[in-house]
Amino acid sequence: MVTAVKRANSELGCGRLEMRLTSDPANIAAVRHAVEELCERKAGLDEKSTADVGLCVNEALANVMRHAYDGALNKPIVVTAECQEGGIVVTIRDWGNGVNPESLPEKPFNPLEPGGLGLICLRRMLTEVSFVPQPDGMLLIMKKAKAPAKPAGDKRPKPERP
Amino acid sequence: MSGGAGPTPKPAPKPVDPNAKAGGGGHAGEIKTGVDLVPHARVQGDAVVVAVRGEIDLHNSPELRGVLLELLAKHSPKRLVLNLAQVPYMDSSAIAVLVESLQRIRKGGGRIFLSDLQPRVKGLLEIARLDTIFIVSKDEADALARP
Repeated sequence: MVTAVKRANSELGCGRLEMRLTSDPANIAAVRHAVEELCERKAGLDEKSTADVGLCVNEALANVMRHAYDGALNKPIVVTAECQEGGIVVTIRDWGNGVNPESLPEKPFNPLEPGGLGLICLRRMLTEVSFVPQPDGMLLIMKKAKAPAKPAGDKRPKPERP
Repeated sequence: MSGGAGPTPKPAPKPVDPNAKAGGGGHAGEIKTGVDLVPHARVQGDAVVVAVRGEIDLHNSPELRGVLLELLAKHSPKRLVLNLAQVPYMDSSAIAVLVESLQRIRKGGGRIFLSDLQPRVKGLLEIARLDTIFIVSKDEADALARP
């Protein structure tokens, strides 16, 4: 289960979360909800961007549980989420097999074959993704920038139709 | 921790009882699944109509898989209609369950219809390029009326 959740406000008044959990899939939803809440309430991400981050956190945790830890339920995972200027940064640290998903041979995505969709979500939905190998596992860093503000309505007079 | 309630730990799926009728007021053909994730299922003509409820991720997608594959094995429907009106969220493990169910029903010449999709679910289907492989219907009636 999620064994500890710490929250702290930075000097900028922006939230930070740190969650320590075991590699039990029952923990995925709680972590996703917490990160989505931070995205929405503190980082100022819109609904779509918040949903994107939530799904990517879900998929990244699932990959750690299934692949890095090979389905073991009691291995440690640490998730942090922190607002930064213009968006949010989420990190996921595991102490698993250290395999870098980006180093695996890329096969063409076939929607009717299992596997690979989680990584596709990370690549498409996030602003930046990096897997940083550690001596004893892996650190995943995910960044999502706020969507650019919509321009104010165009107040120039419309040309008259002939 | 705050945030909405997510999937709660579930026991192993109970076997589907295809002959059991729902209690008072239930429709003929109604199937008890004994699983919160699938509160309603029924046989209607050559179709099996399944209502799914809740967020689906790696934690509870095996439960959905158990129910769907059992329904397909017992009823061999020509169409499986999944009403996803009460599914605000699913992840790739749930998508994998849908794809496995599709592979299974296709062996008997059947099809899967997904109805009442919520935006997040619809978006994931599009990313997975499955929005054109499954038949997406606006609601159950539309799914059952299609040729």
